[in-house]
Amino acid sequence: MLLEGKRLLVTGVLTEASIAFAVARLAQEQGAEVVLTGFGRGLSITQRVAQRLPKPVDVLELDITDAAQIETVAATLDERWGALDGVVHAIGFAPSSAIGGDFLATPWEDVATAVQVSTYSLASLAKGMADLLRKAGGGAIVGLDFDATVAWPAYDWMGVAKAGLESACRYVARDLGEQQTRVNLVAAGPLRTMAAKQIAGFSEFEDVWAKRAPLGWDVTNTEPVARVVCALLSDWMPAVTGEIVHADGGAHAMGGNVR
Amino acid sequence: MSAVYDKVAELLSDKFGVPSEEISPEATFEDLDLDSLDLVEFALAAEEEMGVRISDEEAEQLKTLQDTVTLLESKGAKVGGS
Repeated sequence: MLLEGKRLLVTGVLTEASIAFAVARLAQEQGAEVVLTGFGRGLSITQRVAQRLPKPVDVLELDITDAAQIETVAATLDERWGALDGVVHAIGFAPSSAIGGDFLATPWEDVATAVQVSTYSLASLAKGMADLLRKAGGGAIVGLDFDATVAWPAYDWMGVAKAGLESACRYVARDLGEQQTRVNLVAAGPLRTMAAKQIAGFSEFEDVWAKRAPLGWDVTNTEPVARVVCALLSDWMPAVTGEIVHADGGAHAMGGNVR
Repeated sequence: MSAVYDKVAELLSDKFGVPSEEISPEATFEDLDLDSLDLVEFALAAEEEMGVRISDEEAEQLKTLQDTVTLLESKGAKVGGS
């Protein structure tokens, strides 16, 4: 199996529609041991939704802006496994003023929150898990992205935060390369997750993908993205780091509509 | 009111702290200050208590408590003792 014996930490499972849920499910089906994290009010939801995975999992509390909680998660995993083969970063948040609103009017405090939770978190999670990954021989960190090379309708400061995430991925890849940790992102096409529901104007993305993706795109199917995440967590992409893999039906490569 | 409605009202007041005087069939989740995260949690709680699953897509369509009761009843929601 693709992930036989891999020990994985998966953040960002909130509902069954979460991309991270599909990652956790596929990873278990492919032989991995999985621990989830949940946050704040969502923690009890994550704990309930976790019961729908093929195998029982533990859910650890993790507020990514709280360094002490990151340390606690690392200590728990160290005690449990002594090493960690993979981390899935599926973390992002922007206050409502920063998305689907008036880009130029968004106050700095709200932008700062978006960048702290959605961008800086990759570095803080990587730092917290680095020792455990090293002890597994390097391991892999995989984050979730939405193509940030262009401006989108409504996405606003979340787009800026994702552009920062793409850059942060390259820098974390640079600094963890020495210990053989691979760090990559998967740029997904639009999916109807809880995160997407917070974006006023999300349907405009759906329209773009319907016309632009040469392979087509199903906004309700997270599995094509989750499979790429699992591939990057596996031993089959050993020389790949600092990379952004687009799992988007090919929409990013087109300069115009194909249908 | 039906047993399912009573159960929905009980869930809202016990687990979500909604004041019982604000609960009525016409009340919307928005009226009750329940956001999308609350709605997801409500759907999970309803499944645990009444044995029927509300999908994310169905939950998204729900506006009023009456909509919710109608959906739950159409799915054969069971309430203990009724």
